[in-house]
Amino acid sequence: MRGAKSGRDWIGAACGLAAAVVAAAFVALAAVLVVKAWSVADPGFLFDSASRSADRAGIGPALAGTLWLAALTIAIALPVGVGTAVYLEEYAPRGRVVAALGGAVATMAGVPSVVYGVAGLALFARGLGMGPSLLAGGCTLAVLALPTVVVTSRAAIRAVPRGLREAAFGLGATRWQVVRGQVLPAAAPGIVTGSCAAFTRTAGEAAPLLVLGAAAFMTFAPRTPADPLTSLPTQVFAWSTRSGQDFVAVAAGAGVALLLVLLVMNLAARFVCRRVEGGAS
Amino acid sequence: MTAGGISWTRRSSRGAADRMARPVFLACAVLAAATVVAVVGVLGVETARFFATVSPVSFLTEMNWAPFAEEPRFGVLPLLAATAQITVGAAVFAVPAGVMTAVYLEHYADARLERVLAGVTAALAAIPTVVFGYLALTFLTPLLRSVRPGTEAFNGLSACLAVGLMIVPTVVVLARGALRSVPAGLMETGLALGADRGRVVARVLLPAAAPGIVAAVFLALARAVGETMIVTLAAGNQARLAWSPFEGVRTLTAFIAQSSMGDAPQGTVAYGAFFAVSAVLFLLTWGLHATGGMLMSRRGRAGGAG
Repeated sequence: MRGAKSGRDWIGAACGLAAAVVAAAFVALAAVLVVKAWSVADPGFLFDSASRSADRAGIGPALAGTLWLAALTIAIALPVGVGTAVYLEEYAPRGRVVAALGGAVATMAGVPSVVYGVAGLALFARGLGMGPSLLAGGCTLAVLALPTVVVTSRAAIRAVPRGLREAAFGLGATRWQVVRGQVLPAAAPGIVTGSCAAFTRTAGEAAPLLVLGAAAFMTFAPRTPADPLTSLPTQVFAWSTRSGQDFVAVAAGAGVALLLVLLVMNLAARFVCRRVEGGAS
Repeated sequence: MTAGGISWTRRSSRGAADRMARPVFLACAVLAAATVVAVVGVLGVETARFFATVSPVSFLTEMNWAPFAEEPRFGVLPLLAATAQITVGAAVFAVPAGVMTAVYLEHYADARLERVLAGVTAALAAIPTVVFGYLALTFLTPLLRSVRPGTEAFNGLSACLAVGLMIVPTVVVLARGALRSVPAGLMETGLALGADRGRVVARVLLPAAAPGIVAAVFLALARAVGETMIVTLAAGNQARLAWSPFEGVRTLTAFIAQSSMGDAPQGTVAYGAFFAVSAVLFLLTWGLHATGGMLMSRRGRAGGAG
């Protein structure tokens, strides 16, 4: 019995209306995006390079750039983030240093992404001489994702029942064996889900890459991390700012492609999640 | 769960792996700490260098922001006012819509509708902000201009609407958490006493969940303050005080994204301006998060006592 029982429940009606408006706004915006992108939907669009004429422009380099960036971000932030969470939860002595580090990392999770772009420009592009490269972009996005990976991994590790650890210790397991054999398998679904949320968010980031100096016009697909920085989000931005209606459709097409990449990342995470859950039980 | 599977590593590698594990995990933690120190450090150092040239008083009180002019001016107020305008404007849409959606999900929707709406909220949260910005520029703004012809091509209202929609999921998820922390018996008690759901929600549940909902609003505001791509695309680039939402404005974040910083030579005052604005953003979002977190933990304590 959850439904409103009479028409006099104005508050319920208003709340239902609000929920309907939010859902309708989402559906409307998604529909507008797809409709605007409709005219560019052909296989060539996926692989062609950027072009001065809108009807020949493609997202090949931008798509390759986004895949590179996602791979670099995950390769850097996932091991460091999970390792930090394991250290803080399983190894570190409880004390002020650990509490301070945990607090600082949690605070960094709320810092706007564009600020990471400014820091990344000074640290990676200029400080370490990476220039506006995919590597500088990957490092910046990894630093951006790291706090979220640490916070969600810590929560997942903390949720593992104490008894599981104690039972393994009781059987003579060493700390590493407890971490490897009990804690990480039990926490893996939470770690994967939380990290995936962090990585899909960074894969959709345009602001920090814009600050680093992402290329708006690439004629070749990047092959190594040292190649110039390009990505789908910054390509959507670059095409959105072009005056004239021609590029409106191309920008929408790149936007739809970006959403599809994020969707695939999500499905992949769900698949991995099911595998680790299945493997552990 | 891992009930059956205590997986012993091979005996020969056992000692080595055990000795290696602790330093490896420690190295990860040190690296994570180093990134925090590096990010905060580089912001602090460059901001300090900026304020060695520009007086903090003029930075915070002057009304003119023109870092690349021949006679550069560094009055941050127009940017700050634009950020406040967009943030408050977005909250005006997002807070009622988000809280009411949360109430509907928690206390009215049946299981299937709840799943659908929660899915929509999650999908909304996953959309990159540059896509929202694109839609604000190419769909919302033309719509507003057809309704009110005097609206500028870049305007605050379009950005407010898009930022508002972007932060709705944050409000919904956190407000639901706040509503769920209220004991379920209160609703049943209210209904048993003859009140309808709406009355119980308005008189009992919302007041009880208020601290958590306010905390949710603060966290959503922090997201709106840091939002960059929507305002960069839709709100414009005029650093000015505009009282009308139909005019273009330039926020703190839009200044950073729009001015190509790669071209600003290192060590110049204009280069430092990016770090000073970043530091302002850092402090603003940190303040909002700290306030929200404080309210949240106070709620936790009150809930524990009750």
